Amino acid sequence: MDLFLFYLRKLFTIIKKEVFVLPSRIVVVLFFILLLLLPVFTKDLYLLRIFTLTSIFAILAASWDLLSGFTGQMNFGHALFFGVGAYSAALLNKYAGIPPWGTIPLGALGAVLSGLIIGIPCLRLRGTYLALTTLAFPIILMGIVFALPDLTGGELGISGIARLAGSRVTDYYITVVVMLGLCTIMWKITDSNTGIIFHAIREDELAVRASGINTTRYKLLAFCLSGFFAGISGGLYAHFMRIAGPSTLEVSMSFQVVIWAIFGGIVTIYGPVGAVFILFPLLEFLRFWQELRMLMFAVVVLLILLYMPDGLFRWLRDKIEKECPRCKIRNVAMRHTCRVCTAQLD
Amino acid sequence: MERWEKRIFILAMVFLFAVSTFTVASGQDTIKIGVIGPMQFVQGIGQWNGATMAAEEINAKGGIQVGNKKMKIQLIKADSNEFINPTDATNAMERLITRDKVDFIVGGFRTEAVMPMQDIAMEAKKIFFGVGAAHDELCLRVAKNYNTYKYWFRGSPFNSTFLVRTSFVHLGTVGAILKQSLNLPKIKVAIVAEKAMWADPMIPAAEAVIPKMGMEVVGVWRPSDKATDVTAELSAIQRSEAHIIFTIFSASVGITFARQAGELKIPAMQVGINVEAQKDGFWEATQKMGNYVFTMNTYARNVEQNELTKPFVDTYIKRFGETPAYTADTYAVIVHRLAPAIEKVGSLDADKLVAFIENDVSKGPSGTVAYLKDAEGRHTHDQKWGPGYLTSVGVQWQDGKLVGVWPNKWKATPEAPEITYKGVMPVKIPPWMIEKYKK
Amino acid sequence: MDLVLNIIISGLISGSVFALLAIGFSLIFGVARIVNIAHTAFYMVAAYCIYFVTHKMGSHPIWGMVAAIVLVTLLGIICYKLFINPIREHEGAVLIATIALAMAFQEIMVLKFTGTFLSVPSLVKGYFAILGVKVFYQQLLTFCVVLLVMAGLWILLMKTKLGLAIRSTAQDREVANLMGINEARVAMLTMGISVGLAALTGAVVVPLTVLEPHMWLHPLIMMMAVVVLGGLGSLKGSFLGAYILGFAEALVVFLAPMGAFLKGSVALSIMILVLLIRPEGLFGVSFEEER
Repeated sequence: MDLFLFYLRKLFTIIKKEVFVLPSRIVVVLFFILLLLLPVFTKDLYLLRIFTLTSIFAILAASWDLLSGFTGQMNFGHALFFGVGAYSAALLNKYAGIPPWGTIPLGALGAVLSGLIIGIPCLRLRGTYLALTTLAFPIILMGIVFALPDLTGGELGISGIARLAGSRVTDYYITVVVMLGLCTIMWKITDSNTGIIFHAIREDELAVRASGINTTRYKLLAFCLSGFFAGISGGLYAHFMRIAGPSTLEVSMSFQVVIWAIFGGIVTIYGPVGAVFILFPLLEFLRFWQELRMLMFAVVVLLILLYMPDGLFRWLRDKIEKECPRCKIRNVAMRHTCRVCTAQLD
Repeated sequence: MERWEKRIFILAMVFLFAVSTFTVASGQDTIKIGVIGPMQFVQGIGQWNGATMAAEEINAKGGIQVGNKKMKIQLIKADSNEFINPTDATNAMERLITRDKVDFIVGGFRTEAVMPMQDIAMEAKKIFFGVGAAHDELCLRVAKNYNTYKYWFRGSPFNSTFLVRTSFVHLGTVGAILKQSLNLPKIKVAIVAEKAMWADPMIPAAEAVIPKMGMEVVGVWRPSDKATDVTAELSAIQRSEAHIIFTIFSASVGITFARQAGELKIPAMQVGINVEAQKDGFWEATQKMGNYVFTMNTYARNVEQNELTKPFVDTYIKRFGETPAYTADTYAVIVHRLAPAIEKVGSLDADKLVAFIENDVSKGPSGTVAYLKDAEGRHTHDQKWGPGYLTSVGVQWQDGKLVGVWPNKWKATPEAPEITYKGVMPVKIPPWMIEKYKK
Repeated sequence: MDLVLNIIISGLISGSVFALLAIGFSLIFGVARIVNIAHTAFYMVAAYCIYFVTHKMGSHPIWGMVAAIVLVTLLGIICYKLFINPIREHEGAVLIATIALAMAFQEIMVLKFTGTFLSVPSLVKGYFAILGVKVFYQQLLTFCVVLLVMAGLWILLMKTKLGLAIRSTAQDREVANLMGINEARVAMLTMGISVGLAALTGAVVVPLTVLEPHMWLHPLIMMMAVVVLGGLGSLKGSFLGAYILGFAEALVVFLAPMGAFLKGSVALSIMILVLLIRPEGLFGVSFEEER
């Protein structure tokens, strides 16, 4: 009992000292709680469906950020990982009868494999070359899908695969928990040594190589990690929609991911996640004016970028928090002195 | 910058508020029918127009008699955006069912999107009439898993197996005409099918059937369904000296192909399925080069399958200024199948209605509809094809007019009675073809 | 024999179209480092512009072409000023701004003309036959226009002051600025030229194709493949790359008729193979990493 109280007290201290000091952290905690409690307030299937899909795409957007944001390997063909994840999960489920909890990780491994396959030739490319080359891969795969209609179902896709879970609420919890878990893992990765190396590769690959780090290996690692997470989201999507079709490989899908990630602010992980949680429901919200829906979406993206070219969430964060010039720790914007080193904040 | 912060904050609040209070009042004195489809494309526009006409007609009569009260029809339009984004289509479907609380759904077009849409409707136990997608699998699902999928019915067109069968009949008809009037010893056929799943099984079928019909296959070409240049294929076809080009097109390649073939005066008749050629806009879209293209169609101006056809087609043309496409069969589905079924059953209960509709035989403007069972006697909710039931019509572009040319003295089997729909005209052969072969 | 001729003609035509698009794209990338995803969307707008002039106003197609080129070039410059210039320092933001622009154009066209397939009349009707192979006059026209534009562009870049400015900005933006070149103005002018080229492509190509609001996606991908294959920013590379991919497509269509739908995939695979051997493309300069 005492031990329990001890931990409880410790938890309180952590929440008070670490969470309540920064508004962004409060927002993140609130976000977790709200998402987990949503089904308690509403059983509306439509809302649940939207937030399930939002969570799936949030994983995808965050995985793009891990590769393209942090490592700077501009990937314009992220739909490849998503599609490979979806198709392999669907194939495994349909032909081998493996249930979703098995097919999704296996599908993700398939996506890792595809990450390796495209990663190796792409290592020599950089910048715009890489971006435009990666754009081609999902299209080539789509050609293969169409060329093998017996296996892949051609443009119909693979249908009739198992449901993720019995009910919509369970679906919701599975995807939301997986999303929160994976995004936390991704955020932790970017915070680890590996993540710092990733970031360094983005800033100056030459310098990293000069420090005796095998950048090739790290770049491949980034491709694989990103492929894994994107593959999971593809598998979840296939089992949730119960179909894996060529639309998962389309160029618009790849573009969509890039829009989400850059809109939210790259090199953050939370930015793309937040962006999906704004943009995907926004598209649904705009249904009240069906004809103008996509146009308004495009205009919103354009206008927000015009004022916040670094991304919405980085802009917001800079508005509510200040970085201490001396110890680089973040503070609430209202403070005049740093909460740790008491230096003057400008 | 201050100003912007505030505005964005307000926007965000408005957005949250709207999302959380997005509820639609529901009162059950109207029958709500959801019309779902790609509303910015011809297919969706057809679905919506057909449904609008149906609702206006029924509401003008005071509504549908359900038990002892009259209920009016309320249509709800849902843009599925399915050509671009099937995910969007499923969201639209879910929204129709849980937010708008519709009782019935009609529509759907792209099969990849219709399948998940079907799943959602079935889960909610809503009757869903598919008007647009022709794939067999949609109905095979009913046979395989009746209890889940029984709420799905094929509305229009009939399934792709029957589509192929009809187009073979057309091929045979045109082949016979060419043989007779141009004195050709053996008719050569080039098969051109867009690269799409629905066309895949048609090619081996065509390769097997055409020799049996006494014709010769000279080659198969598979352009992309959105190909914008088929001169390469056309040169090859001309080199193969084909007399008939058997086309299997549903997308924009149908326009490109017809236009370029006409412009290059390829001496061969185009017969088969060319969905774009079914539309009134085809003449303009091919820059008048689509002359003499022959395609299967559901409706044609001045052709009457039965006594219901003329009033429907004429009213539709008057109201919307174009010939109804097959997706406009939402009209037939609502007026001739759903409404009578509701009146006879006397309730909106989906299970009772399914039990009634699957055994019902109803007459609509495109023919008489009966629902099929498969070889094992299981319901498939697919439509019956053949003389006396749905047959579709064959139409040909003749100098700017889309005229009905088939069935003209058609016998389904040697013993079967001859069928000729009122208003059909003879098939015309392109003059440059006559010029080439008459000598 | 006529098979070979067929392949050559069809390769030349599609190659020319790719070349026109790719050169415009390459130009603005070289000068301003803008990856303009909306490039082919401008091509689409030009196509609809011609449709509007010929069908809704009933004028001769030539007026449609003139109007399309002028209006779309203006539109391009306005879009650049409004949406791209303010955020030019942020590479990612520019990228999705152009994607959003393309989406916006697409939606506006859907609203105005719906998703129906449309077409416009050719400038010169009819066809002629070389050794039994039928070729449209319009195709010949396209080919000639490409050669003319190439020559014009070459003169512009090599012989005029503006060309010098463009080339020097492409080589080193900062030094060019120091030399007294108004870099912002050069970028804007280049954007105009680039979009003008896209509009011109639309104007000569559209009579051969079908108009629909999503018609920008396929050429976009092929154009990018061409540009990468030839080497980013290299006009010579784009020119050659365009014909390589054009011929690759033609070969697939003629030699594997059942696989005609695979022509895009095959062309893209060729691009990737070339990049494996030469990561900077055929004629790309392998810049020292810009730090």
